[in-house]
Amino acid sequence: MGLLRSSLSNIRTSPRLLKAPPYISLLCFLGGIIWILLLPLDEYSRRTYISENALLPGQVHTYFHGTEQNIFRAYRHEVAEVLEVQEHVQQDGSKAYMKATPQHRNQRIRDLFGNSGIKSAVQSYKYTVGGQDFEGENVYGVVHAPRGDGTESIVIVAPVENFEGQLNTDGVTLLLTLARYFSRWSLWSKDIILLVTPDTSTGPQAWIDAYLSQHDPEMVASLSLKSGAIQGVICIDFPFRHSFHALHISYDGINGQLPNLDLINTATQISAGQLGIPTLLQSQHLYAKPEAQHHYLNRLKVLGHGMRNQAVGHSTGAHSVFMPYHIDAITLTAVGDGREDEMAFGRVVESLTRSLNNLLEKLHQSFFFYLLLQNNRFVSIGTYLPSAMAVGAGFSVMAIYLWIKSGYEQREEKDQQHTKATEHDNGQRDRTEAALADASITNEQLFNTESAGGIDLARRKVWKPIDRPLVLPLTLIAGLYLTSLIPLAILVTAQKGALLTRTGSLCSVLIMVPIGLTFVLSNNPKLLHGTYFDGAPLEKQGNGAPRETGLVHSDLSPPSDSKTRVLQFHTILKSLSLLVLGLELTVLATLNFSLSMFLGVLCTPLCFAGFYKDSSSRAVASLVAVVLFNPFVVANAATLAAKLAGYYDGSVGLTDVLRIWLEAVSFGWRVHGAYGVPVGVFCVWLPAWTVATLGTVSSFVMDEEGKVEKRVEKVKGIAKDNLTQVKQAAQRRSSPSPARKRKK
Amino acid sequence: MKCLVSLPEALWVLLTFVSCLSIVAATDYFERLDLTPLPLGSLLASFEFRSNESLEAYASQDFRYFPRSLGQVLQHAGTKELHLRFTTGRWDTETWGARPWDGTKEGATGVELWAWIESDTEQEAMRKWLTLNQGLSGLFCASMNFIDETRTTKPSLSFQRTGDHRNASLHLLHGVLPGKAGVASLLDGHKVFDASWQSMSVDVRPRCVSGQNCLVEIDQTIDMVLNIARAKRPREDPIPRPVQPYELICDETKPYHSQDTCYPIDALETPAWSLKDVFGRPAAGACPLAEEGGPEAKSLCLNIPHSQGVWIGAGGFEVRSPPGEAEKRCYQMIAGEPFDFDMPKTSVRTHKQIELEEELITAERTMTGHGAAKGGMRTVFTNPSATEPVNLVLFESLPWFLRPFMHTLKAQIVESEFPFEWEIIKDLYYRPAVDRRRGTQIEVVLSIPPASVVMVTYDFDKAILRYTEYPPDANRGFIVAPAVVRILDKADASGNAKAIYLRTTSLLLALPTPDFSMPYNVIILTSTVMALAFGSIFNILIRRFVAFDEVPENKIGKLVKSARLRVATLKEKITGTKADKTE
Repeated sequence: MGLLRSSLSNIRTSPRLLKAPPYISLLCFLGGIIWILLLPLDEYSRRTYISENALLPGQVHTYFHGTEQNIFRAYRHEVAEVLEVQEHVQQDGSKAYMKATPQHRNQRIRDLFGNSGIKSAVQSYKYTVGGQDFEGENVYGVVHAPRGDGTESIVIVAPVENFEGQLNTDGVTLLLTLARYFSRWSLWSKDIILLVTPDTSTGPQAWIDAYLSQHDPEMVASLSLKSGAIQGVICIDFPFRHSFHALHISYDGINGQLPNLDLINTATQISAGQLGIPTLLQSQHLYAKPEAQHHYLNRLKVLGHGMRNQAVGHSTGAHSVFMPYHIDAITLTAVGDGREDEMAFGRVVESLTRSLNNLLEKLHQSFFFYLLLQNNRFVSIGTYLPSAMAVGAGFSVMAIYLWIKSGYEQREEKDQQHTKATEHDNGQRDRTEAALADASITNEQLFNTESAGGIDLARRKVWKPIDRPLVLPLTLIAGLYLTSLIPLAILVTAQKGALLTRTGSLCSVLIMVPIGLTFVLSNNPKLLHGTYFDGAPLEKQGNGAPRETGLVHSDLSPPSDSKTRVLQFHTILKSLSLLVLGLELTVLATLNFSLSMFLGVLCTPLCFAGFYKDSSSRAVASLVAVVLFNPFVVANAATLAAKLAGYYDGSVGLTDVLRIWLEAVSFGWRVHGAYGVPVGVFCVWLPAWTVATLGTVSSFVMDEEGKVEKRVEKVKGIAKDNLTQVKQAAQRRSSPSPARKRKK
Repeated sequence: MKCLVSLPEALWVLLTFVSCLSIVAATDYFERLDLTPLPLGSLLASFEFRSNESLEAYASQDFRYFPRSLGQVLQHAGTKELHLRFTTGRWDTETWGARPWDGTKEGATGVELWAWIESDTEQEAMRKWLTLNQGLSGLFCASMNFIDETRTTKPSLSFQRTGDHRNASLHLLHGVLPGKAGVASLLDGHKVFDASWQSMSVDVRPRCVSGQNCLVEIDQTIDMVLNIARAKRPREDPIPRPVQPYELICDETKPYHSQDTCYPIDALETPAWSLKDVFGRPAAGACPLAEEGGPEAKSLCLNIPHSQGVWIGAGGFEVRSPPGEAEKRCYQMIAGEPFDFDMPKTSVRTHKQIELEEELITAERTMTGHGAAKGGMRTVFTNPSATEPVNLVLFESLPWFLRPFMHTLKAQIVESEFPFEWEIIKDLYYRPAVDRRRGTQIEVVLSIPPASVVMVTYDFDKAILRYTEYPPDANRGFIVAPAVVRILDKADASGNAKAIYLRTTSLLLALPTPDFSMPYNVIILTSTVMALAFGSIFNILIRRFVAFDEVPENKIGKLVKSARLRVATLKEKITGTKADKTE
């Protein structure tokens, strides 16, 4: 056992091994990213397949054609009259253009439901977000299954305005025509609910909340007409009048939740397989030609779009709001200019409804966690999860490394004799520690011999275990994580108009936090040193003797000098911060893989940024890292990227983009409960950034005692030192010299 | 057998009991069909068949008008009164008005059964009840044997005896088997049973006319709501294909009406129909068993306004209801003569519709919440009457894995035009569940103030079942039986107490469901690990380690060794000789 122990402690203090963890951690980060890049390859993705046998996609004949189109045309007239801007000839002969009121519109839709003998009801709601009212009225009808008991239902939704704000006249008409058509069939085993909402975000949310009685009666009215458990939702989006080329399937839900893969596969199978209408994902039609969809880059783009939507976790259509309630939903959008007419769209919906009607159980067979690459290729959770886990592990590896590092200090020992004497002094110590010290000596000997070219064996550096003061770092970390809830609350409760200014002031305050903390720590040496020195003057403390302190009882000796003490404090602080970060990211990876991945990548530089007192080049590099990878800079860079990528037109400025995003975050939080981005930024990223910045700033402004350096020249000196070092390095590279100057 | 409207063969399971013999007293058999057109092209058809047997004959197993198979089962199980219901679908109160028979002849979706059983102890009653279920299960080809102890309750307030009993020690037992079971599913797919709603009932009860003449009465009803348009579709091709352009019924007043644009108005019209259209064949004439004269002889009635014209065939004559009564007409049929009539097309716009009776109260029960752990039950009662409060009993029989929290049981007035304070919950009878033994039984006496909407809510927990307790379709969820609502203190026209029942829809309860493939993965993984570990450990354990030279030689080894030795000696000889030679 003793042998094992000493060999273990050998490993623990092996100089080569102690150098490895940062590289391992870097390897984890790179590995995670490379892993994602490999996913679009055929070897790492799979073809989709239908898991649930009951669905039988495309196995039925569809009959939505012929004279149904005559009825569609008539209904279109009726619907367009109340949805679109109409020309009215007034009494004096002049023409006026006006739009029907929502009440008028809903009455017309109810009349059309009634004309088919379908019971209908309306539901009004009013959300107030940041001083802005989102008001509307849903209208819906229920086709009762002829012999059904109303235990299960299928929902078909047609928003009046689609996600892009276009008028969905044909979609609503199609819904009403289908409603009439469906009510004549006697084969339904589930009720069919036909819902017309004013928009894609608030309307469906209010409706489903009220359906499950999860609504706030102050804002959302209860439903007067209900049916059974919802088994599936299909949203129809047909925002133009001409015939279309393909159907676009949107599937991202709130907080990155996804519908069962079977639903998407069924839609694809029916549309592309049975009826010959191609299906697209993630706005594929905007960047990938139909024949090039299987190319690596296009698959990667689909993957990237999917991951972005998942990470943001906001609504991407009327279907999104159903996902948090474990109801599978997709939106079918007609895109392109082609030869498919509204009846073909109707047949897809008909066949899809028939498939859902076949279901005996809830959709549960297929995947709920997947990344789609193409309409018939996907990556399952087992394949993609390791990448986020690797990134998370990178932080944990670094945290463990720093933790071990913080527990030792390098001390110079006079000679072998002295070492033994020290060991003798600490006779009461644990035997393990003695063995450890012994082992470290041997290693250090080796190390020194190697690096210093075998100079003076009498003066050796040894790794000594030292006491870790944890009170201050733990308090700081806990404080930072708890106070991160304050900016979160401030942002999500802001009024609409004040959102941008409030974020601006919040940003400046948050940037000042690490700098302020540095100065507080440096001006109060008691904070840094007091925990285990009882505030007594440093000089009077003896080295190496075990001490009883006010807060921590330890057999180990404290760090010998104040320089080590400051370094140790920063090392522990960073270790704890990275530990929490690694944990958070790993947990998040199982909830929202993409968010965890994006946060992990953005935090990667923070893993290496910190307190570098003895290497000014590293200090400068870490300063660059914390400046670049700070949430506010990244947010602004993202707005710029979005602008350059052409997501917004020219009239929208960068600030406007930021404002739109902030409004979306605030709206998503309050209406949909989309917590991903704000929690990710404020509770995961910001604390990690603050700690990294605290270290970086400290390496510039703290002197060796941990106090603020009085003279500015010293800072200049560091810069100069840095310059000379770079020069020296350049010289060394040009003329390799055997004697390497080691900096103390 | 073919008495009234000849029904398809599948119904015979039920109608075998309607024994049609030639020599019977006329009062012992009665039959009737009521047809009521409902809005939106629906038709309610209510069949009733009733027959009697004297108690003496019944006791001595001298069955004439009572089905022997059923009688023997009832006698064996000591059942004095039986009520059996098979129901599918949902009665749409909003469109169809009040329920037929005031809801007394319908049950919960699936099978519902309640009976009074004669026995001295409760245990014996339960044993007899299970026997009865088994017997009926075989008789009706329905899975009634699944009405076990966990699905059985003993209602105290919701059901009352309807027969005249002499013995006091009778036990009431009630069981529901929600879901798609029973004769209803047996009849599925048939044209007649392409109904929007249907209910079948069998009631057996003793009746004493003057305290002396006691009879055993069996009353069977079938009620169904048919969609006339659907029923008229030919049996060979029931698919509602898009009609030809000339068949479309359009609103031609619309400005956009044209060759290819049509605003349909067909849903507002009730197509023309006849008995043959709806049931597949005309009525076969009067049943020789039934009375030949009097009001009971008019076995086919049509509830339509007098103003509406009907073309009747030669096989019967019409009798209209006198003024002051509800407008209807009945037909006296002639034995052996087929009878049919033609009902012309009607439209909501042009024809007077019969006024539907309004339901005294409507009840809607839904589940609230989501997720696998908790939920809530919400029952909403609406009293449409402006003046009359309604007293009722809400009876719920919940499965044991749905655990209600009775402290959360609340009744509140949601909407009301009634300005006074009102005590809603009057009484409560509660029998808690025992895991895997019996379900929860809740009976609440409620009083709903006039012109109000009352919401009764309670929360519940969902239990986790054992792995083997899940049915094959576990992810569908579990069906919770409908609640039974009995309206109290109502009297009919003659002042007698009147029973009025209604039932809510059944609910789908999603329980936490394990991933059933997981155990197999675990089994496979464990087996692999076990195999590897066991293999190597077993190998080490049973193997005896000995030094190489300690191994005793076996025969083959010996042979090989000796062969080698010989070869070696031979070699040596040769080489030796060679060496010798070279030397």
